[in-house]
Amino acid sequence: MHFRTHPPRRRKHLPTPSLRGWLSVTIIAVLLVLASPLRAATEVATLDWTLAETLMALEVTPQGVAQVEAYHDWVGSPALPDSVADLGLRSQPNLELLASLDPDRILITPMFAALEPRLSRIAPVTSIGIYMTDGERWSGLVEATREVAALVDRPEAGERLIERTETALARVRRHLPASTSPLLLVQFMDARHVRVFGANSLYQAVLEHLGLVNAWQGTTNRWGFSLVGLEALATLDARLVVIEPLPVGVREQLDENGLWRSLRAVRQQRVTYLPPVWSFGALPSARRFAETLVAALTEERVASSGGLHGEGIADD
Amino acid sequence: MTDLTSRLNPGRACGVLGLFTLVLVWLALDSQPAFVDALSALFAPSEGDIEQLVAHYSWWPRLSIALLAGGGLALAGVLMQQVLRNPLAAPTTLGVASGANLALLATTLLAPGLLAYGREWVALLGGGLAMGLVFLLAWRRGLAPMIVVLAGLVINLYCGALGTVLLLFHQEELKGLLIWGAGSLAQNNWDGVMFLGPRLALGALLAVLLLKPLAVLELDDDQARGLGVSLKYLRLASLALAVFVTACVVSVVGVIGFIGLAAPAIVRLLGARRLGERLLWATLLGALLLTATDLLLQRFSSALPTLIPTGATTAALGAPLLLWLIPRLKLGGSRPTTGIGRTRPAGRRLAAGLALALPLAMIVALHLGQASDGWHWLSPFGNNTPLEWRLPRMLAAGGAGVMLALAGTLIQRITGNPMASPEVLGISGGTAIALILALFLLPGAGQLTLIGIGTLGALITLAVLVLLNWRSGFLPERLLLCGVAITALFDAVRSVVLAGGDPRGQQIIAWMSGSTYYVDLPTALIVAGLAILLAWGARYFSRWLDLLPLGTPTASALGVGILRSRLVLLGAVALLTACATLVVGPLSFVGLLAPHMARLVGFTRARAHLIGAALIGALLMIVADWLGRQLLFPDEIPAGLVASLLGGAYFMWGLRRL
Repeated sequence: MHFRTHPPRRRKHLPTPSLRGWLSVTIIAVLLVLASPLRAATEVATLDWTLAETLMALEVTPQGVAQVEAYHDWVGSPALPDSVADLGLRSQPNLELLASLDPDRILITPMFAALEPRLSRIAPVTSIGIYMTDGERWSGLVEATREVAALVDRPEAGERLIERTETALARVRRHLPASTSPLLLVQFMDARHVRVFGANSLYQAVLEHLGLVNAWQGTTNRWGFSLVGLEALATLDARLVVIEPLPVGVREQLDENGLWRSLRAVRQQRVTYLPPVWSFGALPSARRFAETLVAALTEERVASSGGLHGEGIADD
Repeated sequence: MTDLTSRLNPGRACGVLGLFTLVLVWLALDSQPAFVDALSALFAPSEGDIEQLVAHYSWWPRLSIALLAGGGLALAGVLMQQVLRNPLAAPTTLGVASGANLALLATTLLAPGLLAYGREWVALLGGGLAMGLVFLLAWRRGLAPMIVVLAGLVINLYCGALGTVLLLFHQEELKGLLIWGAGSLAQNNWDGVMFLGPRLALGALLAVLLLKPLAVLELDDDQARGLGVSLKYLRLASLALAVFVTACVVSVVGVIGFIGLAAPAIVRLLGARRLGERLLWATLLGALLLTATDLLLQRFSSALPTLIPTGATTAALGAPLLLWLIPRLKLGGSRPTTGIGRTRPAGRRLAAGLALALPLAMIVALHLGQASDGWHWLSPFGNNTPLEWRLPRMLAAGGAGVMLALAGTLIQRITGNPMASPEVLGISGGTAIALILALFLLPGAGQLTLIGIGTLGALITLAVLVLLNWRSGFLPERLLLCGVAITALFDAVRSVVLAGGDPRGQQIIAWMSGSTYYVDLPTALIVAGLAILLAWGARYFSRWLDLLPLGTPTASALGVGILRSRLVLLGAVALLTACATLVVGPLSFVGLLAPHMARLVGFTRARAHLIGAALIGALLMIVADWLGRQLLFPDEIPAGLVASLLGGAYFMWGLRRL
């Protein structure tokens, strides 16, 4: 939608507005608009993993993504194909490389606002906020998905993704045991500190969608977590959901951790370990989290049979 | 204000602080069911009662570890300051903390299996290795204080730069270590106390045994030798003791800065003169200071959405305290002496060589580079788009290098302290605090807003420095202590922000490490022009700079207006630092390294020193910026980090040959 009204300027390094320059830009632009049905989809580069994840779920392969290798370690799925160029660090992508790829559009989140003046010399920049915005997280995710879909000119794929996710969540919700105690969602930073997820987080949005209660009612930051020592969890009565990966050595240290062993949930063996899901992800991550969470709560073996997880990915 | 000195003495200060701490303990216990219950929780918690269990496994061990760690660090600080004869020396001066930090970072990434044996041991090993390197570098010169300090500085820089590179590229894997790096006192059982207690007791005992020989170090080297003391082994023993104590503390609770510097400094400011006195009162004061800070923090931070690590807050509370004390109290005039460098001055040929190398480096930096399909040398008639990206960065790197090198030369010559650098003066720290706060409190702020806020930060810091030092006539030692206090504040802000785990942390690290990434062409041209102009102007200072290091009486006898010259030079340093910081971030360390490197190659007279440092600074930054962009293509390493690694390597080699 957007890119048609603002035709991409193809030659960014042309000298400043001479008449000839403008003329050729206009001609190229007109040609491009005319030729657009024949052209492949808009070439998009993005610095942000959440946006990359969304693009892949819309079946649009980004031209370049920052820190591709780390994306595979932490976001994992949907995987990026080999054709995706690695742009370097998310905080400082390689501008020379990005310019040589000559993308039609660069997608960022408000987190990278400081880069905008530099990036906009290469291609039009669109900033789509998911995590640094106020307002309800789930509707924010849905809205961001629509925005991305519109930008890459695939609004119907966006609607499909949203619908698929909603159906998947509704389906796993039916599998939930009738009464589930409140949950405490934590991720270990080291043996004594955890991130506990609450308001504003992806996980919270999923819990609400599944009709589950989060035991953490304390404050959280814009990303939806709060960094606390283990002692902050002591007085809460809830099932502990530990989201992996655990930092190295933490599992061993927990065995000798007096406080951990005295926690009510640990003594009553109400601790669930979940496979890694990107904490600041988009709809695909939300769906994966919902499916693995419900599978763990209903004590299905997610890892061995593929169970709900596989079933969810397969249906389209 | 003089009567303050007579009313306050170390004993009374400790008493007041001790009372305050007791009140805090009482308040904390009172919020629990009952005092008796809390006490019983200490020894035998009842199994089913979660509050008692939390008190037993968390609250009491935390209180004990705070007392132990604070005391230990202060003790190590006194020893360091005594042996190194430098009021800026701290337990971490010899690279223990940064060595431990680097070891933990590297182990987590490369050999995570080792961590299963316990983080403490990896940290101890890393700290020990760093110390070993420092001793190796300084051994030939009999562990002379000056050389030990310089070796410590460079090892710290080196480990710090390597650690930052790892953090930059593995933000997600290493986020847990940032909490350790900020010094969290949280405890979950008594293991930490059991580890630290006996080791610190041993350390304290050894310190008492060393009291008498150590007092000799207050004499100068020749007198001490006359008494038949082997200075080398005495220094080795006491430094090793200080490092052992520090390493134990750091390995258990992480990096707790500032207590080890502030407690001995405050005790000295309060009038403790003899070593025994200082050791006793500083240890007590350190223990109380850390405990009180931690109790206050536990009381007031529970409403925040993030954990505030205690290690970082000690600076936030200790720094204002030190700043408040500095103008009020008398300072002992022990003055460190500079003067490493060859006696044979460098010839014109070296300067000419440097001046030739500079344009060469510029040409290479502009033309040679990588793209997705390999290396390219830009031909003058081909596609010149990459120049659009390379030119601003090259100019900014060179300009910032010149400015920081000049600022560093000025401040090292004014203060006569080799640890002095633009970073230490606090101007960069102030600028950076303002910028970090702006980045976090005004999300989406544009570049112009940020530059404005950064400038404001620099101006406020300068105003604070001038206000606090006006009365004393800008005595170098006071000036540096003020700067150290402000820099400690900056470190506190930084580690709190990073430990909180906000995904924006990576941006902060990248910018702070001396990056030319954000510079556009107009800014770069201004920076480069300003650098040339200021370098031209700086030569008018060379008379002052030749005379001031001779000491105040000599200099004023030779007709130098001490106050005026110090004020003007300080203003120049502030201007240079602020400009450079806004462009490349606060932690590039070129300002520290370039003047030393210039001295090492033989630029000793003020004028030659200025020119040499400026040339080396520019060359170092340009080469570093280029290398940083090529080494891990497409990832970019900030120029400041590469400059630290390059300059540091040369510096170590130079130290070894001295």
